[in-house]
Amino acid sequence: MKTALKTLFNFIHGNPKGERESVEEFLNKSEDFRLLLSANGKALELMSEMTGAAQSGHPSGITRVRAYSVMVASSVRQMIERLCRMAPGKYDGLRDVFNEIVQNMDRAFAGPGRGPLGPPVLRLRDVRASDLPETGSKMAMLGEIRAELGAVVPRGFAITASAFHLFMESTGLDDEINRLIQIHDSSSLEELNDLAQSIRNAIDLAPMPSELEEAMREQCARLGDIRFAVRSSALGEDSEQTGFAGQFISKLGVKPAQVSDAYRAVISSMYSATAITYVRNRGLREDEMVMAVGCMEMVDAVAGGVIYTRPPVGGDENTLIVNAVPGLPCAVVDGSSLADSWTVDRETREITGRDIAEKEVRFVMTSGGQVRKEKLYGGKQLEPAVPDHDIERLAELAMRIESHFGRPQDIEWARDREGLLIILQCRPLTLCDDAPQPPVEDEESRGLAILTGCIPASPGAASGCVVKVESDEDMFRFPDGAVLLARNARPQLSALLPRASALVAEFGSSVGHLANVAREYGIPALIGAPGAVERLSGVGVITVNGTNGTIYLGRRKRMIELEARPAAAARTSDVSLALRRVLKFITPLSLTDPESPDFRPEGCRSMHDITRFCHEKAVSEMFTQGNRPVSGARRLTGQQNMQYWLVDIGGGTAGSETEASDSRQSITVDAVRSRPMRALWYGMMTVPWEGPPPARMDGFMSVLTSAAQNPALAPGARNDMGERNYFIVGSRYCNLQSRFGFHFCTIEGFAGDDPNSNYALFQFKGGGASLDRRNLRARLVAEVLEKRGFIAEIRDDALFARLEGVSQQAVEQAMAVLGYLLMHTRQIDMSMADPAMVIRYRDKFEAEIEELLEGLSEELKEAGCAA
Amino acid sequence: MKKIRLLLVDDETDFLNAYARRFVRRNVEITPATSGQEAIDKIRENEFDVVILDVMMPGMNGLETLRRIKAIEPDLPVIILTGHADSRALIEGMDMGAFDFLLKPVGTDELYFKVLDAVRARHRGQP
Repeated sequence: MKTALKTLFNFIHGNPKGERESVEEFLNKSEDFRLLLSANGKALELMSEMTGAAQSGHPSGITRVRAYSVMVASSVRQMIERLCRMAPGKYDGLRDVFNEIVQNMDRAFAGPGRGPLGPPVLRLRDVRASDLPETGSKMAMLGEIRAELGAVVPRGFAITASAFHLFMESTGLDDEINRLIQIHDSSSLEELNDLAQSIRNAIDLAPMPSELEEAMREQCARLGDIRFAVRSSALGEDSEQTGFAGQFISKLGVKPAQVSDAYRAVISSMYSATAITYVRNRGLREDEMVMAVGCMEMVDAVAGGVIYTRPPVGGDENTLIVNAVPGLPCAVVDGSSLADSWTVDRETREITGRDIAEKEVRFVMTSGGQVRKEKLYGGKQLEPAVPDHDIERLAELAMRIESHFGRPQDIEWARDREGLLIILQCRPLTLCDDAPQPPVEDEESRGLAILTGCIPASPGAASGCVVKVESDEDMFRFPDGAVLLARNARPQLSALLPRASALVAEFGSSVGHLANVAREYGIPALIGAPGAVERLSGVGVITVNGTNGTIYLGRRKRMIELEARPAAAARTSDVSLALRRVLKFITPLSLTDPESPDFRPEGCRSMHDITRFCHEKAVSEMFTQGNRPVSGARRLTGQQNMQYWLVDIGGGTAGSETEASDSRQSITVDAVRSRPMRALWYGMMTVPWEGPPPARMDGFMSVLTSAAQNPALAPGARNDMGERNYFIVGSRYCNLQSRFGFHFCTIEGFAGDDPNSNYALFQFKGGGASLDRRNLRARLVAEVLEKRGFIAEIRDDALFARLEGVSQQAVEQAMAVLGYLLMHTRQIDMSMADPAMVIRYRDKFEAEIEELLEGLSEELKEAGCAA
Repeated sequence: MKKIRLLLVDDETDFLNAYARRFVRRNVEITPATSGQEAIDKIRENEFDVVILDVMMPGMNGLETLRRIKAIEPDLPVIILTGHADSRALIEGMDMGAFDFLLKPVGTDELYFKVLDAVRARHRGQP
């Protein structure tokens, strides 16, 4: 490359000053055009990906949408810079238009903007529902039911959204986290884990603002030496549309001195692989996530569980469900154990059903405030976690909470050693939209069930190859579309749910976190499927019916059809909204007609308009040839002297790397090393021209008449190039401007490694026949070229054709085709009045081109051109 | 063939090392700099064909670094490569004469082609 450049400079310096400028100008223009095309290709590719994401309704995260917008803008700006260099001073107005559109794009991303910062902490007893924007819904609802319904809730305080903003903004964490998400541009679980680790490190290293540190210390001092549960209360976390159900961590048994560290850990959990997967799949914006945190006294619970004020997965609508486990209620929510379950009549509050599970473990709090798992033995396994009258009290309270908030609730509770029932959390319950259906089992599926009586956790039926997930490594390897089989319904598995066709877990609660997420995604799930891991491992494809609790061998197509549910009305996600808003300034194309008076920089309304404008103007700048560097040209010689001269601008001929290229007067074609020129030459010379078409009187007369009327065609008229045909060549580049009789033609090609900047251009006009026949010939040539991927445009008798964004080989083939057409379409305008001749020519051209291309690679190999 | 002399400016050493590894077989000689000031010092002392420049760096940020580079050597092409999808930095950087503005992560091929484009442009006397 360097040598080629040296040759170029030798060449340039070997010429008089004026000529040197003209060479530079010429080269700069071609290079700028190449870079402009490359940027154009990139911009259009990005736009089409963005449009695709908008249509699918599943853009993958706000960070990526923002990155794509900036990348489109960057490519478009690159086009503007290149065009402004090709034609200095002509299109400078584009930059202002561009800046304005970019500002509009930025506004499309702007969120509501936050108000002034409030206090960093709030005592739970001061919190009401109206504090939701500061405390998140978890703490706001607890404060509300304590104050309004007299419910017992733990003592504690909320670390507010204002505290989060203070922490993020004063330390620059917000920018840093966006940057980390951007540079990790990742979707695999492994990469997301790396990302989560980087963000965790950044959060751990950021200094805690002293104002916040002090406020937390004051609250802890007020509450005394107790142990805290430090829980996420993210904004939007428990809203009806998006329950982050178990995506964020809680730190249990936290000593007052560790609250600040636990706070960092809870914030970090907002960026875990699981949480990011969830956020992206739900179309939420990572850059608008706000984590408020609740610090509450740990309850030394002897039992606890969850209440659903309506059955979440179908069943009798007049019932309420209470789940309970002995010990701390973490087991029922994280799916690690089977739970006891009661059904209660919503009207009479009477217990109508009782299902006592065989519980293997319980969680207890140690004296140091730590959580420990304990195995249960003997009778304890089958003992109900709480007596019936507690269930009735809980049902009563749950109904009051539901009526206070006016919608079904999902309530977490605990019972302490004194028998006090304490509400730990309440949130709106995600219900399956459709009414429960009778179990469906079609004819062909009967007898193929391999596991029955599993507990439905999310309705519907789906099939897939069953894949067991036990370790983190299994998670990384989980293939798309498989049935996820797990021993326990751990919340971490939710990261796999968008890729799974169905879920089967041996243990866990059909109303826990994972079940919730499965229902949100609409994935059939069975949680509580005894023996599933042993029975299903390695059986291949199964069908999971999440409605009747049965698993079948193979793919039960009919059943899947019967179970198909109408797609839940998709809520337009925040990311989709932002994407749609920004696309308004990117994709609409209003500049379509280059002849229109609006086709000017000020007429551009979108990035697409600017690309269209720049491309059109750049092509026309290329076709409008300025001064070409033709002195120092060598004449091409073969068996006889030809009317072709050649200028090597670097690496285009043998020996040009070692000596100045103007040292000789002539050169043979064999010494040409420019691949695009060799391809072009091969196309021009391989098939002998059969000569002008047979003269027909009307054709002949037509030529005479036209020639008489058109002064440019008068004998002796000279073209710009003084009758010589010039090849300007580099190792990857070739430009030919030629004139054969009445025909004018420009061919140019660049064939390098990067397809984005490769191109072939063809301009062809003129002829001796009447305009309508010349137009017909242009159409014929266009037809042949379009079949080979060119985009062709015709104005009167002029044909402009271009091929872009293709491989080196494709450009070389295109050059051969253009060479062939250049030679073989001479004078055929004379025969264009005869439709049969048009067809005959077209078929002949296509057949000969086919044959021609077969020999091209051999020709280039023999020519000794480096690939 | 003479190697392309590339000055790679980024405060993250992991990033510098990763690109140094990726370019090792590509006829590019990388000189790392971990701050804007270090970049300026190196440009004063040595000759480079092209610069790749991060934007968010502690101390002198990338845009300020770009301004100073252009004051010292207006023809030296500078490719901005940043993790911040920030359109203001795009406009400001391009207005100051950056050769291009790329977002991390960028593929090795794409970056390599950009480097070649920039070097070619420089030899044609364009910034």
